[in-house]
Amino acid sequence: MDGRPSDAMLLVGVAERDIGAFRTLYERHAGWLSLRLARRCNDAELVADAVQDTFVVIWQKPRSFRGDGDVAAWLWGIAIRRLVSRLRQRSDVAAAFGSSDTVPAAEDEVLLSVEYGDMGAALARLSPEMRAVIQAVVLDGLSAREAAQLLNVPVSSVKTRLFRAKAHLRAALAEGLS
Amino acid sequence: MTGWHVDDETLRRYVERIDSVAEGASVEQHVVTCERCRARVNTAAVAVDLAVVDHDAVWDRTRDAVEIPRPSVFERLLSAVGLPSHEARMVAVASAFRGVWLIGVAAVIAFAALAAKIGNTDELWFFLAVAPAAPCLLVAVSYDRRWDPALEPEMVTPYPALRLVLLRTTAVLALALPAVLLLGLVVPGQTPFVWLLPALGFVAVVLAASTWISPLNAATTVSVAWLLAVWLVKRAHSPTVVLEARIQVAFLVLAAASFCIFVVRAHHLSQLRPRR
Repeated sequence: MDGRPSDAMLLVGVAERDIGAFRTLYERHAGWLSLRLARRCNDAELVADAVQDTFVVIWQKPRSFRGDGDVAAWLWGIAIRRLVSRLRQRSDVAAAFGSSDTVPAAEDEVLLSVEYGDMGAALARLSPEMRAVIQAVVLDGLSAREAAQLLNVPVSSVKTRLFRAKAHLRAALAEGLS
Repeated sequence: MTGWHVDDETLRRYVERIDSVAEGASVEQHVVTCERCRARVNTAAVAVDLAVVDHDAVWDRTRDAVEIPRPSVFERLLSAVGLPSHEARMVAVASAFRGVWLIGVAAVIAFAALAAKIGNTDELWFFLAVAPAAPCLLVAVSYDRRWDPALEPEMVTPYPALRLVLLRTTAVLALALPAVLLLGLVVPGQTPFVWLLPALGFVAVVLAASTWISPLNAATTVSVAWLLAVWLVKRAHSPTVVLEARIQVAFLVLAAASFCIFVVRAHHLSQLRPRR
């Protein structure tokens, strides 16, 4: 430790209405949060709003962090839900899942299969819709309902796509093992 | 902890968003737990994201958002029923909606109701006198300039005074009438809704009179007059005479006529104009 306050300590400062601690927390996290949100939503304005909402929530309820796990994980949980809630108000914006920027170039595919083995290749072979659902539910930890709002599809579609995507992955991995 | 960290090449591809699903997912899961890699992604993101998300601008907006006081419960309630936020603020800022006023008025009505409940019919006149007058007093306070710190700057910006008065009056009535009705339930021998028409009538009279004199003077006059009337009637007959059917019709006429006068003379709402 180089004497910099930990995130949890900064949260204590925020609870004591220390705007300096709040600023430090913002500078430490706003960048990666907005980048990660921007990978899920093409609308930069909406991402900016979601980041703002996230930090307003942190300012209002810093004590809702229970001290278990990483502050960063807690922040992400707030941020992705603020984005979902913002998206709910603006149904005209499409989420960025499955758009072309997440499809790797051909030579990257080869790299991937070397680096991550069958799992990476299996993920890459999923249709953009199924990948989006896997990303929202499995990786971002959203509920089926929240994922449905983020992706702007019915909850039932999220559930079927998740089911099929898991089946695909399972089959692909089993194939690789045999 | 594994020895895996985000290398420069992976970081570049992640930030430029040319990574694959598995790669991106790995970075994201790792970054949540690894402070060092998170700091690197954060720095890279701020550098690359300037065109996408302006972090200084977002910070300014965030700071502004946390530094202005949170809207009161009442203001949020108004927003919830569909009032635009700036109007919700204009309505809620009135002194009449401060807790102390509401509690005070509720306490007076409750006291009068209680007196009527435990006392004999002689005590009923007090509730009769207080309950219908309370809403009009609250309405007057809600837009009397003397009680409204925000009214002057508000009226410097052109805002329709009529709309403001009506919005605040509606808000007061939405709060006060259910309270009066509810407390009317405990008063013996009366159906609770008989308070409704007198209360509305007095509110309308205050609105109409406020196009000549200050709302609070109007409300005080109306209340005192009503108090005297009830007291005089009480000496002659049973005080409940003032709530008989034909009197109710008179209240209805009074309410309608006063409201018409108010709407016609709304441009005379001199109390809502800036002094200078």
